[in-house]
Amino acid sequence: MSLAEGLPDGGEALTTAERALSYSGGDAQVTVIRERSLLSRFAHSQPTQATEVDAVRVSVICVRDGHPGEAGTTNLDDDALRDVARRASAAAEATARAGPGRYPSLPVPGLTRLHQGYDVETAALAPARAGAALRTVFEIARRSRLEASGAWTAGVVETAVASSAGMAQRDSVTDAQLRVVMTAAGGRTGFASGTAKAAAGIDESAVAERAAGLVDGGEPVELPPGAYPVVLGPAAVADLLDFAGGLAFNGLAFAEGRSPISGRLGQRVAAACINLSDSPRFALTLPRAFDAEGVPKQPLPLVQDGVAHAVVHDTRSAALAGGAARSTGHALVPGGALSGPAPTNLVLTGGGAADEEELAVPIERGIHVTRLWYVNPVDAKRGLLTGMTRDGTFLIEDGRRTRPLRDVRFTDEILRILSATQALTAGQQLVGLGHFYGPRFAYGAVTPALRADGFRVTSSTAG
Amino acid sequence: MLDLLRDLMDTAAGRCSYADVRRVDRMTERVSTLNGAVEGIEDFESDGIGIRVRAGSGWGFAATSDVSRAGAERTLRRALALAESQPLGRAGPLAPAPPAAGRWDGPCAKDPFAVSPEQKLSLLLDADEAMRGDGRIVRTHGHVMLRRAVQAFASSEGATYEQTMTECGGGIAVFALQDGELQERSYPGGHGGDVAAAGWEHVESLDLVGAAPRIAEEAVELLSAPPCPEGVTTVVLGPDQLALQLHESIGHALELDRMLGIEAAYAGTSWVSPQDLGHARYGSDLLHVTADATLPGALGSFGWDDEGVPGQRQALIQEGVLRGALSSRESAAAAGLAGSSGCMRADGFTRQPLVRMTNVSIEPGQAGSLEELVADTGEGLFLETNRSWSIDDRRLQFQFATEVGREIRGGRLGRLYRNPSYAGLTPHFWGSMDAACSASEWRLHGLVNCGKGEPGQVMHVSHGAVPARFRDVQVGVA
Repeated sequence: MSLAEGLPDGGEALTTAERALSYSGGDAQVTVIRERSLLSRFAHSQPTQATEVDAVRVSVICVRDGHPGEAGTTNLDDDALRDVARRASAAAEATARAGPGRYPSLPVPGLTRLHQGYDVETAALAPARAGAALRTVFEIARRSRLEASGAWTAGVVETAVASSAGMAQRDSVTDAQLRVVMTAAGGRTGFASGTAKAAAGIDESAVAERAAGLVDGGEPVELPPGAYPVVLGPAAVADLLDFAGGLAFNGLAFAEGRSPISGRLGQRVAAACINLSDSPRFALTLPRAFDAEGVPKQPLPLVQDGVAHAVVHDTRSAALAGGAARSTGHALVPGGALSGPAPTNLVLTGGGAADEEELAVPIERGIHVTRLWYVNPVDAKRGLLTGMTRDGTFLIEDGRRTRPLRDVRFTDEILRILSATQALTAGQQLVGLGHFYGPRFAYGAVTPALRADGFRVTSSTAG
Repeated sequence: MLDLLRDLMDTAAGRCSYADVRRVDRMTERVSTLNGAVEGIEDFESDGIGIRVRAGSGWGFAATSDVSRAGAERTLRRALALAESQPLGRAGPLAPAPPAAGRWDGPCAKDPFAVSPEQKLSLLLDADEAMRGDGRIVRTHGHVMLRRAVQAFASSEGATYEQTMTECGGGIAVFALQDGELQERSYPGGHGGDVAAAGWEHVESLDLVGAAPRIAEEAVELLSAPPCPEGVTTVVLGPDQLALQLHESIGHALELDRMLGIEAAYAGTSWVSPQDLGHARYGSDLLHVTADATLPGALGSFGWDDEGVPGQRQALIQEGVLRGALSSRESAAAAGLAGSSGCMRADGFTRQPLVRMTNVSIEPGQAGSLEELVADTGEGLFLETNRSWSIDDRRLQFQFATEVGREIRGGRLGRLYRNPSYAGLTPHFWGSMDAACSASEWRLHGLVNCGKGEPGQVMHVSHGAVPARFRDVQVGVA
């Protein structure tokens, strides 16, 4: 049955999965993902590229003596499905000849829940909708005497999983996103974005106006390296949380001792105001019924009142962790990713501040960051990251945003920033984090803005 | 297949000002081991058609995995509808290009798909075993990957070609952990090892088993090594790190779409503009950089790019001065250049081509071998194998970390330093290069994780590099 409310009849993906499964002997699981999407890019307030994708991929995992073999195809005819099943089986048998393996049993069906992550109108993917969104953004740019760059996108993804363990389920989700960078003649920029389950859930005018509002034509000042109080906007916080999910709350890294919170469950790892969970049914998030292995998604508290509570698992990391560990429904690809599982519905609970301006009030001299860029781990074990700010970086003086800053490089630890967090806004925003390398997988973090102390700036961009 | 593609282009010709179509049939295989056991064998075959049209002032691109005639015709209609739905814009011309015609096949001596899974696993398990033994080692990993893409192309200007590219490579990595300190060593490079446009012979040439004990010992030794000191010093970059430095601070910076502001919202722009071509100072007089899509064995080599422009070699930087940019037909015309440098590439059939770097390489200098360069250096740091990278959206301010640093003292390599890092500004850094090793040290390094575009595209590219020396570099910044 459909797990997404309002999903029309069809279920071709599940039919295909069951067809491929019928060609697979022994323990096998088939995942079918069909993506249909539109993406329109723009620059200099002109359309530049428009992409429509209609593609399907079938993945078959066979397990023999604790060894998985995986094969995939984009071809749906019977011969191709027989061939992909044969290749997966042959791969598993080849690995099994190396001796018994550690791959756990295929997951058994669990109780999946209905969600509201599918929108019929968005799934229609009308190209005219993209055109209208771009026209709205261009008009606001023209009125503001700015140039607009960015992208509008919408997609529908149907996923089906069938297995010899009895799994037979499918799910459909939609998403829409708009990202806008406004640029002034002097080169200053401002960024805003909107992400929602439905295209109608994005107010294109509001996103464009927000981006335009961050463009300050004043001469930017340079900030020397040092530790500063910071207000991080939701887009910046979302990037940090995404890395926290992949480095710290990743059950594989945790089990191997590579996570910053390895051995620290039950201990304080963040300020008491930090409550972080993976909540696939939270109202603002992009829900889905099950993970890439077909395991049901369920809410999971990760940090409660600053204390580390849990990490996420797929079936492989849970087997490695041993004891009572079970998959929490966080596999990223069929069979589990080599890098391990990760949370994809992060929700950071809001605080009491009315807005980012109120967060800045106690700051005598600090930084307001809209967006981070090119963030990468320097030391995964410490959760040490480096990256740049961009598209709206400001100096805070005497409790208010005063002048634009040259973008700065930060090099700081995620858990240190969360430990030094002093306040959060009440309002939260869903920030889209998917870049759509490979099949479309829309996800994001629901987060407020926050104020933290001691944000470590290590250099400034030259003019 | 070419008949169907030609027919499609005939159909498109009357309905748009330009169209091209690619069918890409790609087979990928990955074999991996983890912690002394088989991690898995995966293969994936994708086959589909991507059609790009320009109608009115807009571009439209549609892709499908339905390769039937009906599926292709439906996809053409969708591409046209998408282009026609775009807001009106300024449609600049495409730089002229003679229609491509012919066939091109990349090098492959030993078909990697014919090598048995058992042979691949045996190699990886032997390498894995050679990395284990010390109780402080918590993770060992090895993999080989192979890919073959068979591509057919046609355009509304009468171009048709077919080409086949084979890629093969792999790598190993080891993690050691003690008292909260985690150290990684990998070989023959970080982030996916080393891949070449070649067959299984490339994996054999890597000698993964032979390198395994050394990197395991180094990972353990790094646990108790002193941290990289903070300060300003002379740095010699190993060729694998220099390859990434080239990629990030020269290759991406010279993509003409970025220089024109077309990628401003996502990949970013560049600190140089088209007006800088011919006179801007990018580095020292010793800096010579080329983009060469004709290099044998390199991942960015091809017969024609994904809009039918032949692969070519061009100078990007000569004696430190900016001379060229990486371009497409549209961006070349927008910048007033005579023609495209053949850099439009797409990641499979579901993505439309973008300006992507081909094989951007530094030309060798005259400093002899690495040993001779170190001897000539006296005091400083030798840094190799990337661990972390980050650069701003103009490709100007960067910070890199490497897996390992070695003290250079008295003209010799000395003790290890852990967690080395360095930072700089692109023109200052390349301006401080005062020596580059000779041709005997020059080799290709394949990168398979270059991301760009929306929806995201991952491109594979190689960089020819030699060890080189840089003065007055800020180190120990992380």
